Amino acid sequence: MAVKEMPALPETAVQAADVQERRKPLGKRIYEGRVAYTMLAPTFVFLIVFMYYPALLGLYRSVYKWAPGLSADFVGLGNFVQLFTKDRVFLNSMDHMLQLAAWYVVSTVGVSLFIAVLIHRLRGGRAQYTFRLGMILPVVIPAIVPLMLWKFIYDVKVGPLNAILIWAGLEEWTRAWLSDPNVALYAVMLRNFPWVDGVAILILLAGLQAIPYEIVESAMIDGASEMRRFWSIELPLIAGQIKLISVLTIMWGVQEFTAVFAMTQGGPINSTMVPGMWMFFNAFRINKMGYASAIGVVLFLLTLVLTLINMKYITTEEY
Amino acid sequence: MSAARTETRELYRRSRSEQVGVFLRGDWWRILLLGLFLVGGIAPLVMAFLISLKTIPQFARQPFALTFPLHWENYGFAFEIVLEFIKNSMIVSGVTVIGVLLLASLSAYAFGILEFPARQVLFYLVLSLMMVPSAMTLIPSFVLVKDLGLMNTYWAMILPWIASGQVFAMFILRTFFESLPKELFDAARIDGASEWQGYWRIALPLSKSMLGVAAILNILGTWNNLIWPYLTIQKQALLPLTPGLWAYQTEYFTRYGLTMAGLLLGSIPLVILFVFTSRWFVAGLTSGAIKV
Repeated sequence: MAVKEMPALPETAVQAADVQERRKPLGKRIYEGRVAYTMLAPTFVFLIVFMYYPALLGLYRSVYKWAPGLSADFVGLGNFVQLFTKDRVFLNSMDHMLQLAAWYVVSTVGVSLFIAVLIHRLRGGRAQYTFRLGMILPVVIPAIVPLMLWKFIYDVKVGPLNAILIWAGLEEWTRAWLSDPNVALYAVMLRNFPWVDGVAILILLAGLQAIPYEIVESAMIDGASEMRRFWSIELPLIAGQIKLISVLTIMWGVQEFTAVFAMTQGGPINSTMVPGMWMFFNAFRINKMGYASAIGVVLFLLTLVLTLINMKYITTEEY
Repeated sequence: MSAARTETRELYRRSRSEQVGVFLRGDWWRILLLGLFLVGGIAPLVMAFLISLKTIPQFARQPFALTFPLHWENYGFAFEIVLEFIKNSMIVSGVTVIGVLLLASLSAYAFGILEFPARQVLFYLVLSLMMVPSAMTLIPSFVLVKDLGLMNTYWAMILPWIASGQVFAMFILRTFFESLPKELFDAARIDGASEWQGYWRIALPLSKSMLGVAAILNILGTWNNLIWPYLTIQKQALLPLTPGLWAYQTEYFTRYGLTMAGLLLGSIPLVILFVFTSRWFVAGLTSGAIKV
């Protein structure tokens, strides 16, 4: 028995129903939405107490000279002026943050793209599956473990990095990687060699696999080389995914200070200081909470600007 | 019957020979390169394993190669300490994820399925929170938790993490609920079901895998948090795994065998979780890319 399609309501009838709905007094509509409000209530209680209140308090405290337990002095934009004119450590930390974020983007996109293309070109389905799994597995190792292991690898006395250099006859290259102010930032930056990022690889691989085979095939028939296939077909077609990964990495790089915290705490002589770490230091080591809040606000504004740039100029495709 | 079996066997044989043929057709260098990346990524863990079986004198004599006898008792020692951290982490991340799923699914149902005044405004209020970096709320949250007298309790971690974790979970669940056919819910309403029943008996059972994805993402986030527990928990007995491993490594730093054993043991719980939920894992990790 064929199921007949239900005749759709005429447009006007739908509109009439809609208008009728809207004509109801607001009080009645709110009353009818009571189930929805009840469902939202717990979420908003949590958000107000643990998100909005702290965020607004952070904004508010950033214009005070404030330490908990003491009276707060209003200083207007004084904290911000000091940050950007007098605080060398903060300005350097911004520079370090930019270097780190730039490197994170380059290494994440570069290495992940290389690996994703390699996996994509594998002909055996099983080999593809195996490597995909192999690349994503390290994600489940708690983030602190590689940080600690790399701290050990860089160790001046017992670390394998120096041991390898000595073994290779490059004794003059050995150094205290994490306590030499000239190289500490780069040591933090280059940790986790060879920079395999499972998540980015999965995203890029999904993008590559979504390219219709006909496009690639027709190019191959026209005699395009492997390199040409990559530069002229695949790269433009996964530009959306690459932008997405870049944006996510930059956003993360601006706020991130766990690595610095775990490996160097910003030292030696602030050579690995990043804004998040500097904020932490001001707030919890020397009790300048108002000043630290101002750093938090700067980070917020930076994120906001990046988000706006992203929304306005870089339209990431729906993944 | 047997003909079918020979056919299957023949197919299998052919696919095997195709696998071997892969090497002949120039895939070998790709496999080699990818293998190098894998080995490079895993090398520190192998190093940790080799060192984890050494006593201090063994490490001093021969730091990286295997030395005999193997001291498995390092693991026994580390286990007693790390187990406590793992227990704390499981309690904290477990309660958090239950809270997150409950709150996020309820609000996602309201935003995704129901109609009510101020829906858009409320939704944008939540959306705007995605732009607030955790760095900005760190200090005021700390002061708040201190004022509430929650320091050195599990709640100091659980309550703020429920609040922040539910935002992203709500987004992925809302997108999923909106994709469900409206007719399902209309039919239930006509049959006299309340919205609560629609939520509990239709929306939730249909979104099990999405709930799994949201749960995995949330667990990964809370499990790896170092800074917040470090600030709010001073009692060693209450430390979760990540700050626990950090403290443990600082305490036993020169006893490398014990340190490495502890780091490796601490990695096991998530690996087990991964084994049982790898499908959600993969979906969840790439859904970080869903544009909100």
